[in-house]
Amino acid sequence: MTSEVVAEIVEQVNRLRATGQVPPGFEDDLDTCFEKVAEESLAADESMVAQGSGLGSGKTIGGAASRMRLAQLRQQATAVARRRCGPSLRRLERQAALATARAGEAVSIWTHVTVDHLERIAALSPRASRVLARARPGDSSVSAVATMYPTIEGPLLSWVLERLGAAAPEGGRGEPARVLHAECGDGRVVEALVARGFDARGADPRAPVRSDGDTRIVAAGALEYLGATLPGTVDGLLLTGVVDRLRPGGGRALAQLAARCLSPGGVVVLVSTRPEAVIAMDPVAADLAHGRPLHPVTWYHLLARYGLSVLATFEPDLSEPDVFAVSAQRLAPPQLAGRDSP
Amino acid sequence: MGFVSEIYACSMGPGLAGRVHPLSDLPRDTSERQWVCYQASIGSPAADTVGSHPGLKLIDYHNISPSELIERWMPHLGEEVRLGRRQLAELAPVAELGFADSEFNRAELEQAGCRHTMVAPLMVDTANFYSPPDQRVVDRFEAARLRGGHDWLFVGQMLPHKAHHDVIKALACARKMFDPEARLHLVGRESCRAYADALRRFVSALGLTGAVEFVGSISPSELSAYYASADVFVCCSDHEGFCVPLLEAMHHRLPIVAYGVTAVPETLLDAGIVLPSKSPALVAAAVQRVLTDHGLCDSLVAAGLRRSRSFTLEGARRAFARAIEQALQGA
Repeated sequence: MTSEVVAEIVEQVNRLRATGQVPPGFEDDLDTCFEKVAEESLAADESMVAQGSGLGSGKTIGGAASRMRLAQLRQQATAVARRRCGPSLRRLERQAALATARAGEAVSIWTHVTVDHLERIAALSPRASRVLARARPGDSSVSAVATMYPTIEGPLLSWVLERLGAAAPEGGRGEPARVLHAECGDGRVVEALVARGFDARGADPRAPVRSDGDTRIVAAGALEYLGATLPGTVDGLLLTGVVDRLRPGGGRALAQLAARCLSPGGVVVLVSTRPEAVIAMDPVAADLAHGRPLHPVTWYHLLARYGLSVLATFEPDLSEPDVFAVSAQRLAPPQLAGRDSP
Repeated sequence: MGFVSEIYACSMGPGLAGRVHPLSDLPRDTSERQWVCYQASIGSPAADTVGSHPGLKLIDYHNISPSELIERWMPHLGEEVRLGRRQLAELAPVAELGFADSEFNRAELEQAGCRHTMVAPLMVDTANFYSPPDQRVVDRFEAARLRGGHDWLFVGQMLPHKAHHDVIKALACARKMFDPEARLHLVGRESCRAYADALRRFVSALGLTGAVEFVGSISPSELSAYYASADVFVCCSDHEGFCVPLLEAMHHRLPIVAYGVTAVPETLLDAGIVLPSKSPALVAAAVQRVLTDHGLCDSLVAAGLRRSRSFTLEGARRAFARAIEQALQGA
């Protein structure tokens, strides 16, 4: 019976169109209108992702984007996290409220990084929550985050150094390869790279606390530093820490940023915590969709999307059961055949 | 049935901590005959764990929305659904049996390489759909109705493949052609910031600001009130593996107009108007027909009630148990 009704409705619509009762072009106009607003919304969203990830030009984020981001952060504090990590979440909310209140001024990216840390850690782990609770109010995120980064040592360190060793200076320019370790922690990998003849630099928001005047390591969040790096000027890029606390869309922004910074032939190495390890840390992990580590295969696709070719993967082993790493290379553009070529 | 059964998960909601084990604790002891049933959906590390598990494997497939419907709006999610499809393709050929909650899903499972597949009804109990309607919501509807016009309802997460924008287009068409005071209520969590923003811009650009309500997530009582107070349920979704809100609408005696793709036609059967396209004028005309042809409306509601009552938890359990028994006999 309903198929007969549908046939009648189709016929009625055809009549309405034929007689102009559905104004000519009206339905097409609706499609066009939606496409227009869709593009606007996607552009606005892209801009927010870019700004929030340091893809933008500035070191500061201000105004509406900050307010929206901070409002989003508050929403992400789930009911589970609220119950399990109440004090930390309340602290997060206070910080977010404070930052929101200041959003008329410029809000530094450090504020965002801090809030990201708090959000992610408090939502994921009671252990981290306890760390937060012990930490002094002024630098809680610094103390807590220091305990969360995957360390790079043993076979993983050898693997990372080997992969970055493939990062030769563009065109054999006779200079040491320039390697950047984003979120380098205490800078031990930077030191190891320097010892192997690389022009290695590090960036870490905790640098003022730890660098002891070492000018190779600057005080900056990874994304902030990468965002300010000139395109095509880095031969090797090691990403740690930041990789583990990307909000939705952040993986794409980071892969795009890495591809932009690398010189042709340059190598990026990305070290991350296995998603399962994060889950094992606390089985009642709240809302892992936000800020969780990405699956290695997801990284393959993200890196490939931005023109990077995946070279190798460090699989978790007994020495590093909770960590994986992926290395990828920005392919050099194909050489154009010369006029005299056969 | 006499089986020892445990649940393992990557993550779990509140209140499940005592009942669900972390995936990392999944035993891999092959000395006992062990079956692992994987609830297959979006890409998950659990798929790899199950894939490499020595036990016999079952897949319960809930479908994965195609990445092309998603990635424009949420590239990261696009990657994850693509991963889910790839993991399914790896897992399906090594599974002893695949369950699906619709024939549409079963066919996909078969296409993915699963040797033995069957439809086992979704574990929903329509008896649980009822909550006392929130009176404040009912009052709001009644106040709005004094101005005339009908109330359209769509329930579903605000995700691009649910195509809320197409329902809005149909509403714009209906207000122009048939029902100038028609209103639309969109119930469901805003799960994609860009898409939700686009919908708001769209509504504003069409001058429908007072006519479209973005309701968001609501309590069961409020949801009951929306179902009880609306005049018609309109679904223009591009992809549904089953679509539970259709069942809810049937249960609440709401006539349904839906775009007939993926599993929607088999979920509805004769309990709704299933359209071959979702051009705004066609959807608008179908809604108008349902709202003005009372005989048709009554027959759709009656068919919906019959259909929704066929979904009981006990019935689903029995069907599932039969399927498991068959699988065990065959293994």
